[in-house]
This record gives sequence, C-alpha cells and structure tokens, in this order.
Amino acid sequence: MSEPATIEVDQFLAHPPAKVWRALTDSDLLARWLMPNDFRPVPGHSFTFRTTPRPGQGFDGVVHCEVLELDEPRRLRWAWRGGRLDTVVTWTLVPEGRGTRLFLEHAGFDPDDPVQRRTFTLLDGGWRSHVWPRLTQALADLG
Amino acid sequence: MSDVFAALANPTRRELLRLLLERGEQPVQQLADHFDMRRPSLSEHLRVLKDAGLVTEQPIGRQRFYALCPEPLREVADWLGPYERFWRARLAGLREVLDGLPDE
Repeated sequence: MSEPATIEVDQFLAHPPAKVWRALTDSDLLARWLMPNDFRPVPGHSFTFRTTPRPGQGFDGVVHCEVLELDEPRRLRWAWRGGRLDTVVTWTLVPEGRGTRLFLEHAGFDPDDPVQRRTFTLLDGGWRSHVWPRLTQALADLG
Repeated sequence: MSDVFAALANPTRRELLRLLLERGEQPVQQLADHFDMRRPSLSEHLRVLKDAGLVTEQPIGRQRFYALCPEPLREVADWLGPYERFWRARLAGLREVLDGLPDE
C-alpha cells in the first residue's frame, strides 16, 4: 500500500475572503462554477454533486459529499466520494492584499488503484509545477 | 506505461531528468558528481530510465553519455492529472462567478 496522494492547487482571487466564502457555500453559486448540488452550510450535512457519468471509470456521475468542517471564512472541508474515490477536499482562504488566496487540497487518492492512478499524478508539487511543464514543452518541440 | 510511471516515481530519477533537461547530454561521471551516491546505484537509476525509454546512452571514447528522450512522457502527459485540470478549470469558473458578483 503506497501513501495516499494529494492534488494541491491555489489561486489568487481579487475579492475579499467573505465574498469567496459565499461562492463556496451558497448552493446556487456553487452550481454556477462547480456542479449542481444540494449543499447546505451545516456541519455533518450530506449532499451530492451531479455531473456526467463515466461508466468506464465506474463513476455514475454522483459525488457523495459531507460537510466535515465549516470555519467561516477560513476553512471548508468536504468528504468527496464517487466511483472508486474516497477522498477529502479542503478549501483554505487566506487574505492576501485586497484579495484572497484560495488553496484547494484534494487528498486521499490511492496510488495502488490503477484506475485512480490515471486520475492524478504521483509526482511531487515542485517537480510538477517547475520541471514537468518544461519537459512537456520539450515534448511539444519534438512535434 | 507502467515502466515510465515507475521511472518517474523516484525522486533521484526525476532529478536526473531535470539535470539532463537543463544541462543537456552529459557523461555519467558528471551526473554522479551531482549526487551523494555510489556510482553503481546511480547506474541502476540510469538503467531504469533507459529501459523506460526516457534516456539514451551513447559511448563516446571511454565515457558513456546520457541524453534526455522525452518521447515516452507523451503517454503520461495524455492522462496526467485529469483531476488537477478539472480543479484548475473550475477555479477559473469560480473567478468569473466572483467577478460578476456584486460586493456585499
């Protein structure tokens, strides 16, 4: 059994944390940028996101979630289960200047599951963000 | 596929690829100088990379030169990180939603 792997993405948003928090915790707003859902900002609340089924990956299009943590306007954690995934999504909001740096961590991918292996990278973040793009550029230069 | 993936899974081998990417073709001793590692261990890593098709080996005089061969990365790139791409795309959507949302 290998260590579970994690995806980490962050982005600066030119909006205050309270507003970003609203887009993360209002069901209608969430639906506009993520997926249709029945989210409610209540710890322990079970909800679903619905998207296109991918039968080849054993995914029926429903992501079963649960609100694990709700710390307005700093941290939001969801259990994220669907297909073969049993993972946790954590949003962290950090004030930066007049805006917000939003960190996303999607953790718990099983590197031993060949299907899951196709859905993420085992490579560590620094290598992936600095070396990998240049490798793929070298690849693109090959034609 | 699995050979390429296994080759990339090791930090020493990723570092070797980085060195070959940044400094071009070089002899094994020059690569070895970069690592605090016995040369047989390094040769083993280079052999894994060679078996995966990620480096080529060429004897020049008494030295063996290694060069990066990125072609096998193509198949990795084709399926690498759909989830990461998913989230990056969604975060771009979030930015648009926020930009169109009045401040409270």
